[in-house]
Parts: sequence; C-alpha cells; structure tokens
Amino acid sequence: MTTPLMGRRRFIGAGMLAAGLPLLIGRAALAQQSAIRMIWWGGDERARRTEAAVALFREKHPEISIQTESMGWDDYWARLATQVAGGNAPDFIQMDYRYMFEYARRGALLPLNQFLGNELKIADFGEANLASCSMDGKLYGGNVGVNAYTLLLDGAAWDEAGVEMPAYGMTWDGFAEKCAAFTEANQRPRVFATADGSCQEALFEAWLRAQGKALYTPEGTLGFNAEDAGRWFAYWAEMRDAGYCVPADVQALYKFSPETSPIVQRRSATDFGHSNQFVAFQMLVDAELSLTSTPVLPDGQPPQYFKPSQMFSISSKAKDPAATARLINFLIAEPEGAKLLGLDRGVPASAAIRDVIASDLDEPGRKVVRFISDMTPQIGMLPPSPPQGAGEVNDTIIRISQEVGFKAVTPEQGGANLVDEATSILGRA
Amino acid sequence: MAEQTLSRPAAARMRASPSRLGAAMRRNGAGYLFLAPWLLGFFLLTLGPALASLYLSFTDFDLLTTPEFIGAQNYVRMVTQDPKFAASMKVTLLYVLLSVPLKLAFALAVAMLLNRGMQGLPVYRAIFYLPSLLGTSVAIAVLWRQLFASDGLVNSLLAQIGIEGPSWISNPNYSLYTLVVLSVWQFGSPMIIFLAGLRQIPTDMYEAASLDGASPTRQFLRITLPLLSPVVFFNLVIQTIEAFKAFTPAFIISGGSGGPINSTLFYTLYLYQEAFGYFRMGYASALAWVLVIIIAIFTAISFLSTKYWVHHDD
Repeated sequence: MTTPLMGRRRFIGAGMLAAGLPLLIGRAALAQQSAIRMIWWGGDERARRTEAAVALFREKHPEISIQTESMGWDDYWARLATQVAGGNAPDFIQMDYRYMFEYARRGALLPLNQFLGNELKIADFGEANLASCSMDGKLYGGNVGVNAYTLLLDGAAWDEAGVEMPAYGMTWDGFAEKCAAFTEANQRPRVFATADGSCQEALFEAWLRAQGKALYTPEGTLGFNAEDAGRWFAYWAEMRDAGYCVPADVQALYKFSPETSPIVQRRSATDFGHSNQFVAFQMLVDAELSLTSTPVLPDGQPPQYFKPSQMFSISSKAKDPAATARLINFLIAEPEGAKLLGLDRGVPASAAIRDVIASDLDEPGRKVVRFISDMTPQIGMLPPSPPQGAGEVNDTIIRISQEVGFKAVTPEQGGANLVDEATSILGRA
Repeated sequence: MAEQTLSRPAAARMRASPSRLGAAMRRNGAGYLFLAPWLLGFFLLTLGPALASLYLSFTDFDLLTTPEFIGAQNYVRMVTQDPKFAASMKVTLLYVLLSVPLKLAFALAVAMLLNRGMQGLPVYRAIFYLPSLLGTSVAIAVLWRQLFASDGLVNSLLAQIGIEGPSWISNPNYSLYTLVVLSVWQFGSPMIIFLAGLRQIPTDMYEAASLDGASPTRQFLRITLPLLSPVVFFNLVIQTIEAFKAFTPAFIISGGSGGPINSTLFYTLYLYQEAFGYFRMGYASALAWVLVIIIAIFTAISFLSTKYWVHHDD
C-alpha cells in the first residue's frame, strides 16, 4: 500500500515543480531588460499605425521590450480599471481627458514633470496645452493631439438642395433657418437636414459657452440651470417637430460611434463629432464630407476650445517610467514616430510636428489640419476640469434627450430633471 | 479498512485523536487529489470571489482606492433613492414573465411536432437547436439589430404589405419585445429536453385514450402535460434563472446604454454600468447579491408550487 502512495506523492511533487517552473523562468527573463506594457483603445487603423510606430521604436531601442494591447472604448475602461485595481496596471496608458482626472485623483498616474526637458521634450506644445493635461499643477499626460467639436457636412446633399452649407460664424437661429431651407428643397427620400444634436454633450457645452455659461464650474458644480437645459431641449424639439432633424427613433440608433451615426447611415446631411473622428467618418461614406465649427451666438463668447483628444500617461506603478517616457516622446514629439501615428488621435499640438506630417496627409487629413489652424484664433479658454461623476451626467443628458425626443416629458420638464439628477450625481461622487 | 473492524469505543477514541485527520487523508487522499482541480476552482474562483463581493457590498469601493466600510448604506440607497434600480427591476421582471412562458410554450410545440416520428429527425433537431448555440453570441445580437432596425428586414417585409414599421430596436415602446422575441427564438435547449420527456410517455396511453374517444386536446391536457410536468418544472427553473441573468443581447443592441430611455436596462446591465461605467464596485456588489436573493426566491416559489401541479408517478 505504502510504496505506490509514495510514488504518487513524488509524482505530484514533481508535477507541482514543473507547473511552477515557467513562472520562475518568466520572472527571471523579464527582469533582464526593461519591459513596457502598453494599452490603448481604438480600431484597426489605429492599431496598425501604433504597431508600426512601436516597431520602429523597438528597432532603435532593442533593450526595451514592449508588449501592446488594444481594444474598443467600452471594454477598455473596464479592463484598465480591473488591471489597476489588481496591482497589474499597464505601464503605458492611453488616457482620455475626462478619465485622466478620475485616475490622477486616485493616485494611479505618475506626474511627468520630472521627465520634462529630459526624456520628454514637449515644451513647444505650449503652456495652454500642457495645462490641459495637468491637474493641480502636475502634468499627467503627453498630449497626442488636439480636438475641437465640429459640424460634419455632406456637401453634395446641401448643394443639391441649393442651400449654402453651414460655415463658421453662423448663429444657432441661422442654423435652424438653413435646415428649414434644406427641408423645403430636399429631394432625397428619408434624408433630413441634420442629426439630432440634443444628446451631444459637447454640442450642448458649445451652446452654453456661447452664452458665457459652462457645463461645470471650477468648484465642480453645474454651470447651467434648469431653464438653460430646458431651452436647449426646446430648440431641438422644434427642429424635430418641423422635420429638420431626424426623428427620435432614428437618432436612438446612434451609439456614439461613426458607424451608427445618422450621416453615415444616410439619414442626415449634417452630423456632429470631434475633429479627430473626421477621417473615420469620411472613410465610411462615399459622399465628400467637410467640417466646420459649431454655431455661435451674435456677440456671444467663443464656443470652442481645444480639448486634448487623448494623452499618453504612465502608471504610478510603472517598472521603468523613464523608458516609458522615452516611448511617449518618440510617439508624440519625434517626427519619425509622430509621422506613423498621423492624425488618427487628433492634430499634433506641436507646430513643428504638424509641418512634418503635412506632406503625408490625404485630403481629409488636410481638411482637419486646416480646420484646427483656422480655429486657433477663435478659440476660447479651456473649461474647468470635469468633476467626478461627469461621465454619469453625460449618460443622463443622453437619456433625457431621448425622453424629450419620444415625448415622454416636455423640454422644460426635461431641463428640470437634468439639473435635479445631475446635481444629485455630483453630490454623491 | 482497518477501522471498520474496531469496536465502537475504539472508533470514538480514533475520532477524538489528532491522528484522525491523517487517517482520513490516507484513506481518501487520492480521491481529494483528483478532485483538487475542481475544488481549487470552486474555492478560489467561485466561492472566494463571491464571499469577497458579499463583503464589498457593505463598502464604498471605486476599484482604485481601498474599500471603505459603510454598513448597509448600499442596500438602503437601492430601495430608497435609486430610480434606476426600480426601472431595471421592472424591465427584468417583465422580460422574465414574458420570455420564459413564451419560450417554453414554443419549445414544447416544436418538440411535439418533432416527436411525430418524422424522417430525418436528427437533422431537424440539430437545425432547431442551432439558434441556442448562437443565441448568446455577439454576432446574433448584431444580426438582431439589423433585422429590427428602421430599414431592416422586418420593415422591408412589412413594407411589402404596405405597412411602414417603426424602428423596433430604437423605439422605447418596442425595444424590449424585440429582445423577448430573440429569447424565444433560442428555444433549442428546452426543446431538446421536452423531446426527451415526450419519448418517455408510453404510447399505449394515447392508444387507450383514442379508443375511448378522447380528443387530441384532451389527450394533451390529460396525458401529455401531467406526465411531462417534471420536465416542464425543470425547464421552468433553468429558464427563469437564465432570463434573470440575460445580459449580452441588451448590451449589444443598446450599445451598453440600456436605452432608449432605459427600456432595455436589464438588471445585469445596470449592475455592469455601476461597476465598470461608474466604478462603484461596492454598490454593484450589493446589486449582485440582491439579484442572487431574488433568483433564490423565484426558485423557491417554483419548488414550493410543485405539489400543486407537478405529477409524480410513484
């Protein structure tokens, strides 16, 4: 009885050892050189560009090994949060403007000030740009590109209707009039003058800023009141009832991706998006698109600001932060790397880099760069950083815009509900 | 082996002695060893996290900072000041109450059709089972979006007969029902089980009933249903639990939002939003435990009701 039992034990012991062996070897191998784990969200085109740039960096720095991982926006934040919570944070993290504050506030990101001028040479991005990636005076990300919110236009559809396309300087009333004229002359079945903008937080923000208001105050409370929100929903309710913008059930198909947008689905001649998405929109439709600034108010404030579309941050637990900073610098501040990334993550903040990549751009890319350059003199102040809970407030704006759209509530009631709910969300966070 | 021959007092002494564990290990060690992969998985990957989530449900935890104990506040908030909890509960209950009976009825109807001893039965069975294999997948949810979109297949068919259909999936009045239809369409696994159950019913019962002049309806009500009731019960319990846990279709079709206007905000989807959208892991854990309790209550009710309708042969 005993002999086979002993044999079994020895067998198990050997098995355990064998199972543990790769772990030991893996650790040892990793310790030999500096290893960077890099993570970003985005589609195939972005993955292709980023991998190419990373490959070039590897060639130049064979001592640094880089492991890349990318996924869609929705999965990204769940994955990143779990990895950070599990003490397994990636070293190199692609950050979003809003989430940067959530992560930096909780000590998950490394301040980059120590690398400035050494590994990270981004002084020519300008004060305003560096400030937009900072919290409490500390820099938490290298900006990959700047963005402005835009109107996307199907030029052919507007031409066909014989109406001059919306352009910079057009007022909100002017926009409604243009949409009316379009609707009058429109020959295309099932196509409306514009998508429904009431669910677009950034468009709402531009509308508020023109009136000297904001989404949030520097103290982190709401920068608008129930009456403002009510007027916003009422503007779009009129557009909807008049048939200028798409009906509620068409707009509800929009899932905040270019693929599902009314303009790509051939249901509208106008839509809304960030300037860095323009190329992606253009790739999805045959019609030639153009972009222009959001409407303004007569004698109003500048509605627009340059928002860092994305930034590259370093985890506070990064094993080799200096090497990671070097990779960031390669991608955003060195011509070779920045050229490979192109405009995919926004227009580079550095004028020098912009010049370098200009020669490689196709027509849609040139339009975006021209738009950002044209907008530069018209740009307003950066708004205060969004408070914790801002993401949930955005979801609430979307839901209430649908409630108004499907006539479950009046615009006035919708505005009051939005302020009530948003106030309670901000109070809870 | 040796213990069995010991006298009672001796066995009692063995039980009290510290070497008892060692003896038991010698006796059953190999068995436990073979069970180890499952035991490890159960304790480390199922029970451990489940208990951790029970603790977390009494905390405020944002994933990135340490959990802070806050007592029953999460549970209190749920019932007193969370309209989304009530909304998601309503959507889920409606979904369960509609989809489970419809799916079971449909599955039973198809099973009875297939039970007629037709040619090529295995082929049909496989074809009818196929949707269930694909049903929870992302691809089918995407396909469903295409079918029920404003310019989807369903509306093209309706247009043939002159009806202009709405955009089913993006209209809050219909969106939940498209998900019920999707669920009913995945009738495969209850159907297979019904089919096996139908096979167990002796055919001479039907023959005798026919001779006595019982109509097919009467035969169904008096023979098929009572004899099949244990199988119906099994399917009912399993499908109810599955329906409470439904997530993927709503997640894909609404783009993770549960919209339009929370009309497809399944309970699990709300839980996911709280956890991974807003980083409120403590609250999400509390939501998860409430779901566990609700499923347990529904299952208990099903079990308690069996004595009124489930027929036992013995």
